[in-house]
Amino acid sequence: MQEPRAIEERTTSSAPKRTAAADAAAAFEEVYLLYAAKLRKIAVRKFHVPIPEAETLVHDVFATYITHAAAVRDVERYLVGAICNASRRWLKRADAADELFCGEGPCAATAGDALLDEIARKLLLSRMLAGSGSRCRALLQRYYLNGETTSAIAETMHSTPATVLVFLHKCRKRALAAYRALTERG
Amino acid sequence: MDHVSEDELALYAFSSEAVPPERRIAIERHVAACVSCRATRDFFAVAEEDFGDADVWERVAGSATRESLVAYAGRIAEEDEEAEELVRPLLDAPGKTAWMNLLAQRRFRTGGVVRKLTNHAASIADSEPLGALTFADAAISIAEALPDDVYPARAVYEIRGRAWEKRGYAQCMLGEFKAALESLAHAEHLYKRLASPWLGLARVAYSRAMVLYEQQQLNEAAAIAERAQQAFAHLGDDDQQMKAAYLLAGIRYEARDLESAVISFQHVMEYGESVNDSGWIARASKAIGYCEVQRGNLGEASLHFHRALALFREIGPEADRVSTEWGIALVLLHGGKRSEAIRRLRDIAAEFEKHGMVTDAALVGLDLADGLLAQGHMQQIAELAKHTFDIFMNAGMLTGALTALAYIKEAAASGTLTTEDLQAVRGFLRRAQRQPDLLFIPPPRNR
Repeated sequence: MQEPRAIEERTTSSAPKRTAAADAAAAFEEVYLLYAAKLRKIAVRKFHVPIPEAETLVHDVFATYITHAAAVRDVERYLVGAICNASRRWLKRADAADELFCGEGPCAATAGDALLDEIARKLLLSRMLAGSGSRCRALLQRYYLNGETTSAIAETMHSTPATVLVFLHKCRKRALAAYRALTERG
Repeated sequence: MDHVSEDELALYAFSSEAVPPERRIAIERHVAACVSCRATRDFFAVAEEDFGDADVWERVAGSATRESLVAYAGRIAEEDEEAEELVRPLLDAPGKTAWMNLLAQRRFRTGGVVRKLTNHAASIADSEPLGALTFADAAISIAEALPDDVYPARAVYEIRGRAWEKRGYAQCMLGEFKAALESLAHAEHLYKRLASPWLGLARVAYSRAMVLYEQQQLNEAAAIAERAQQAFAHLGDDDQQMKAAYLLAGIRYEARDLESAVISFQHVMEYGESVNDSGWIARASKAIGYCEVQRGNLGEASLHFHRALALFREIGPEADRVSTEWGIALVLLHGGKRSEAIRRLRDIAAEFEKHGMVTDAALVGLDLADGLLAQGHMQQIAELAKHTFDIFMNAGMLTGALTALAYIKEAAASGTLTTEDLQAVRGFLRRAQRQPDLLFIPPPRNR
């Protein structure tokens, strides 16, 4: 029998060709937006990595991914495997060999559970927010993300806290309608 | 009861205290019984939590991580575009690349140039290992001159590691095994400085297993190939995982652990079937065929070889097609149909010769010699050995293989040739293919 030799190397030629830097950056951005939240959740929820450190791990996993993206076959499994390894390394729970070559395939953190449902739901919500009206989006962002009180918001709007609550209520209803539309579209 | 209005459900989910107690009880009762209202209430309740999650807002509000990574991705793409233009004229001229001092020219000192040179080294390593080594060396010289902090997350170590990894691979293809292991150790050292080194480390493990396999350090090679297989699986790279699995199966075959080898090759075949990849199916079928020949299961072997043959005829490569024909001839030889086997083996040796695959032609010649030996045709074996000797001479392959072939010729001419002699030369030729400096030492009893 002929010796089983190495099978020809995969090179970047088979990967989609980058037409321009901007296209490549945009393509990466979509990958980032699709998976970053999931990676953070895995690091924080599954491995109990503190949030600031999880952010660094996610950044570093993506930074390495960018340099060899063309060689990555299954982006999601690659990123999930990488964040599991990175989280384990951060925790220093495993010895060096186990840390580098986790025997679990795929990583146990990928097991289908409520976490995956939550991530999918939030991804949809995030898309819905991106497509919603700017006034509602700004109001929801101030209230939920920035943690501003209705009084503080009312002051800048020259309004009252009660009116802000009404606006918030309307925005939530619009969110519900948009969410339903997205869900029904599939 | 009528459905609860969305306004009321939203208020209830947002702040149930804001709903009068008697109305709250009514809503709770209704929601418990009404799927539609429950779904709306759930949305408002969940959204209340979800809106507070920064991840939900990243698409809209951005984040420092996102901005820095997107800018970095754009920069990498720009570097690659620029490098494409710069490096293209060099790719067909390894000699030019070797003598041109790329490092001295500022425009070449970019990560993009390193990636292009390394990718090119990877793409030609199997067919032109010397050229690949030249390109990998050029990539290394530039990569090492780049500042350590040129990329975020120490990512410069990825391109440095990869250039050293491809250097090691090219050295393996050239039979420079010691140097290959050193290069791979260096690649591993560099990868370990990365924040996320796992893909690189898996590739190093795969290449290291190959080198150890070539060096016949089969136990160690198997252990490392297995780890590489697991690492690729963990990173979701099924194709690389199968390459590692195929290598592992080959190592087991070489170690004559045929049962394990067959199981591993079957695993590869199942993968090929699952993704409808004829290449994997054909390679695995051929390999199982060879295992079954060794196990004496000639019927099974024949089935697998014929399956592989049909696929190789359709998809190539030609060398694999001929190699499968070789397996079928061995089935005939071991099945006692010597004359037919000898006829086919002569044709196969001629085909390998035609393609310049002289070592494979010589190895087929040894199987042919087995058949002729069984028939007592010593003179024909001596002529065959002389013919193969001449081919090696004409090809400029002045290695220990010549000594081995001369040994066969003399032993056949003197009538002392045995199947053990043929087996010893067979083992030697296979190793000498990758280790041209290897010396042939005749089997002990004939020395």
